[in-house]
Amino acid sequence: MLTCDTYRLPTSLKEALALWAGAPEGSRLVAGATDILPWAREGRAGDVHLPEMIDVSRVAELCGYEIADGRVRLGANVAYQQFLTDPVLRSHLPCMPYCAVWFADDQIREQATLAGNIVNASPAADGVPPVIAMNGDIEMARLEGGEVVTRAMPVAEFIMGPGRTKLAGNEIVTAVTLDSMQGYGGSFQKVGQRRSLVISAVCCAALVKTDASGEVFEDVRLALGGVGPVPMRLTDIEDMLRGKRIDRKLIAEASVGPADRVASRSRVAYRKAVVSGFVEAAIEDALVELGAPEPTPEQREAAHV
Amino acid sequence: MSDFEMELEVNGRKVRRRIEPGQRLLDFLRDDLNLTGTKEGCGAGECGTCSVFVDGKLVKSCLMPAAKAQGTKVETVEGLAKPGELTPVQRAFHKTGASQCGYCIPGMVMAATSALRENPDAGIDEIKERLGGNICRCTGYTKIFEAVELAREVIAGRLNPATLEADPAGESFIGNNVRRLDAPSKVSGRLRYAGDMVMPDMLHMQVLRSPHAHAKIRSIDTSAAEALDGVACVITCDDVPGEDGFGVFVHDQPVMARGKVRHVGEAVAAVAAEDIATARKALKLIRVDYEELPGLFDPEDAMQPGAPVIHDYAPDNIVKHIPVRKGDVEKGFAEADIIVEQTYETQQVEHAYLEPEAGIAYVDADDVVTVISPSQNITHHRHMLAHIIDRPINKVRFIMSPVGGGFGGKEDMIYQGMLALAAMKTHRPVKLVFTREESIIASAKRHPSRVTYRMGLKKNGRITAASFRMISDGGAYGMSTEGVMRKAAILSCGPYDIPNVQIDTYGVYTNNTPSGAFRTFGGMQAQFATESHLDICAEKLGLDPFEIRRINMMRDGAVTHTQQKLGSVSLARVLEAAEKASRWEAGPVGQRGPVRGDLGGEGTRQPCTLGSRIKSADGHNKEKVA
Ligand SMILES: Cc1cc2nc3c(=O)[nH]c(=O)nc-3n(C[C@H](O)[C@H](O)[C@H](O)COP(=O)(O)OP(=O)(O)OC[C@H]3O[C@@H](n4cnc5c(N)ncnc54)[C@H](O)[C@@H]3O)c2cc1C
Ligand code: FES
Ligand code: FES
Repeated sequence: MLTCDTYRLPTSLKEALALWAGAPEGSRLVAGATDILPWAREGRAGDVHLPEMIDVSRVAELCGYEIADGRVRLGANVAYQQFLTDPVLRSHLPCMPYCAVWFADDQIREQATLAGNIVNASPAADGVPPVIAMNGDIEMARLEGGEVVTRAMPVAEFIMGPGRTKLAGNEIVTAVTLDSMQGYGGSFQKVGQRRSLVISAVCCAALVKTDASGEVFEDVRLALGGVGPVPMRLTDIEDMLRGKRIDRKLIAEASVGPADRVASRSRVAYRKAVVSGFVEAAIEDALVELGAPEPTPEQREAAHV
Repeated sequence: MSDFEMELEVNGRKVRRRIEPGQRLLDFLRDDLNLTGTKEGCGAGECGTCSVFVDGKLVKSCLMPAAKAQGTKVETVEGLAKPGELTPVQRAFHKTGASQCGYCIPGMVMAATSALRENPDAGIDEIKERLGGNICRCTGYTKIFEAVELAREVIAGRLNPATLEADPAGESFIGNNVRRLDAPSKVSGRLRYAGDMVMPDMLHMQVLRSPHAHAKIRSIDTSAAEALDGVACVITCDDVPGEDGFGVFVHDQPVMARGKVRHVGEAVAAVAAEDIATARKALKLIRVDYEELPGLFDPEDAMQPGAPVIHDYAPDNIVKHIPVRKGDVEKGFAEADIIVEQTYETQQVEHAYLEPEAGIAYVDADDVVTVISPSQNITHHRHMLAHIIDRPINKVRFIMSPVGGGFGGKEDMIYQGMLALAAMKTHRPVKLVFTREESIIASAKRHPSRVTYRMGLKKNGRITAASFRMISDGGAYGMSTEGVMRKAAILSCGPYDIPNVQIDTYGVYTNNTPSGAFRTFGGMQAQFATESHLDICAEKLGLDPFEIRRINMMRDGAVTHTQQKLGSVSLARVLEAAEKASRWEAGPVGQRGPVRGDLGGEGTRQPCTLGSRIKSADGHNKEKVA
C-alpha cells in the first residue's frame, strides 16, 4: 500500500525541478506510476510511505517529440501507446510499434513512459534494447543557481545494472533522443510466460536497411534484452552483416554466436536456445517489413543444415 | 499529511472531494464515490477488473494515483448507459452469455467498449489484442469475443438491434439459447460482491500472517497495537469462546494459529480499525515470539517414521488413506505378458478466482452473529461457527454474497471466523478484503500428487491388473483432503474394466500451503496418470492409443473399481466423437511416418501473435521504401 504526505502536479520544468530539489529525503518522481504502484505491495517493498510524490506527467517541456537532423527527440512523457498510434513515430522508429504491441497491454501503455522504463532499469525492460540499437541518448536536467542545466549521455552508459542508473539525486529525465530510422524495417521479438502483461524472459530488437536493389544489407542494428544484467548491442553481428548480400544462410550463421553471450543467472540453456532463434527471426521479420517474402518454416530449417 | 483537493468530472457529473494524496483512482471511485462496478482483482495491473476511461482513454485505475485524474473526465461502467438501460455492448454480453461469476465482466465491458471506440471495425484478432489486459477465469473468452463481434455489427448497423433480444423460447430450455437472469446486474456493474458492500460505522480488518512454515508460538503481545489510535480491537485465538476448529472433514484448523503455526501465511492475529491504513500500522506493532520447528515440505518425507509431527492427533502425519481392492492383483500380474511401471507428478495450482476473499460480519439487534461472504459452503460454515463461538445455531447466520469465482477455493472457512469474533468484540460491522497476494498465500490449492503406477497387460492390450498408489500433499490443514482422496481413489484407474486392482491414495500433512477442493476434486491428478500411462502402454505394445482404450473400456454392465455395476456406459461413443473431432490418424505411436496428418488444420488454435493493427495500419514502411 502506497501512502504519501503531498502529491504535486507541476506544469513546467522549472517548477518541477524546484519542487524536486526541495523535496524531503525519500520523495519520488512519478511518471506513469506503472512501476511505482505495483512496487509498493506485499512481497516487494510492502507498505511504503513517501513524503512527496512529484508527478511530472503535466510538465509541458516533457511532452511531445521533435524530429531534426536525423534524430528523434522524445520528451520524457511519451508513453508507449504513442509508438503504435502516431504515424510519424511509426515511420521514424519502425521497431517501436512491435516493441509496444508486446509491452503490457493497451491500458498500461497509455500511462507507461519510455523514460520511466529506462530509469527503472530492469534487465527485462522492453524499451531498452531498441533504444540502444537506435544509439539512444538520455537527457537530464537539474537546477543550478536557479537555472535549468542539462546533460546527456548514451543510454548504454546510463544504465549501470539492475535498478541502477547514473541519474543524480536532483535530476529529472527530460528526453530520450534516438536515430531516425526512416526507411529501415523494424522488428521486435519477445518471449515471456504468456502473451499479454508479461515481462520478457528474452527480447530482441532489429532494424535493417537494404540498398536500392534490396539485395544487400546497407545497415543492421541488433540488441538483446533479458540475457544479462544490462541489455546488449550486437555490434559485431551488425558489422558482419553490413555490406553483405542478403542470404538466408548468412542470417542463420549470424544468429549462432550471440547465444554464448547469455549471462543471466537463471534459465541459461533456455535463453541460449531462444537467443539464436530470435536474432534470426528479428532480422527476417525486419526484412519482411521492407517487402521481402515471409520465409516458410522449411526455408528456415534448410538454412541450418 | 495534507489533503489533496480533487476536482474532476465523473460520469458527466462534477465532483469535488478532499482526498488522501497517495490514494489510487480505484480507491477514490470505490470508497469515496461508491462506484463499485470498478473492481479490484489484483491491485497490480494484471487483471483489468479496474478498467475505467480517463479523458477517453481506458486505463487501469489500480495503477493510477487518484491525483493524476485531477481535472479529467472519468467514465466508469456505471456511466456507460442511463439508469435502467444497457449499451449495445452490455446487451451483447447478456445475449451471448458472456458472464458467469461476473467479477471480470464490468472490466471486460469497459475493454470491449474501448476496443470498439478505438476501432469500430476491429477484426477478431484486434479485439483479442485489445482485450489482452483483462482476465476472465470462468466464462472463457469465446463468449466474450462473440459478444464484442455482435456488438460491433449492431453498432455499425450491419445487424438489426433486435439480434440483441432474447431468442424465442423453444419447447425446451435444453438445446436453446437462454439468457442468464443475473447478467444485466453483472454487465452494468450493479451487482455487489462482498467487497463492494458497506455498512454504517464499519471497521476494517487486516490479518497478521505467519512468516514461518512451522514454529511454536511462545507469546503474542498485542498491547501496543491495541493502544494505537483508531484500533477497535485485536483478536487472537484467545478470543475464541467455544471449541476452536474448522475443516470440511476434520476440524483441525483453528480460527487463528493456536500454539503453533503450520504454514507460511497462516493467520496469527487480526486487527479491526477505523481504516485499512491504521489496521496495517497496528499489525506492525504486534509482537509474536516464535520458536522455529523443523518443517516438512514433501509428503514422502512426512510419511517417514520419526518425521516431525505436524498435528498431535495424527502422529503419522496422514490426513487420510483410502484403500480400494478388487480381485487379486498378484494373480493378475502373474497372468500379464508385460508389466509397465511409471511415476506421475502434478503440481500445486492456485484457483485464481478474480474475486479475492472478502466478507462483512455484524451482530444484529437480536444478538445474531451474521457473516456475509462468498462462501461455497454456508450451511456447514454456520454449524462450525456456532461451535467455535459457542452460540446456539439460531444465533448464527451466514449470508452468501455473489461468488466472484470459487472453483472449490471458497469452501474453507479461513476468514469468516475472524470476522465474527471481531464483530462480537466490538459490536460494530467488520469488513475484510484479501489482497491478491494474501489470497494466494492463505487459500487452499490443488493437491500436488505423485502417482506410482504398475500395470500388467497381455500382448493383445488387455489389462490384467493395476496398482495405483497416490501420495498427495495435503499441506498444513485437512480442509477437503479426505474427500479429494476418496474421489481420486474412486476414479483412479479411469473408465477401464480392470479385473484386479489395488488402489491406495494418501493425503499427507506437510508445512506447505493447505490443499483443498479444486475443480475435479482429485480426478484430474488421477486421470493425468491413468491416461498418460495408457499411452505409454500402447506405445510399448505397438497399439493405437484409441485401440488400447477400446479394448479395456467399461461397457454396459461393467463393474467399477469400487464394485458398482453400471447400467449404461457411454465411453464408446465418447471415444468415437473424440477420434473424429481430432481427425485422428490411426496407427501405433511412432509407426505413422515422419509427418503427422492430424496436427494443425481446421479447428486448431494457431500460435498467438500480436500486431494485427500494425499490419492493417497502412503498410507504412513499404510505402516509405518505395
Ligand atoms: C502489469 C504490468 C505489465 C508490464 N509490462 C511491461 C512490459 O511488457 N515490458 C516492460 O518493459 N515493462 C513492463 N511493465 C513495467 C512498467 O510498465 C514500465 O517499466 C514502464 O515503462 C514504467 O514507466 P512509468 O512511466 O509508468 O514509470 P513510473 O512508475 O512512473 O516510474 C518508474 C521509475 O522511473 C522514475 N522516473 C519516471 N519518470 C522520470 C523522469 N522523468 N525523470 C527521472 N526519473 C523518472 C520514477 O521515479 C521511478 O523510479 C509492466 C508493468 C505492469 C504493472
Ligand atoms: S488490473 Fe487493476 S485490479 Fe487488477
Ligand atoms: S466471469 Fe470472468 S472471472 Fe468469472
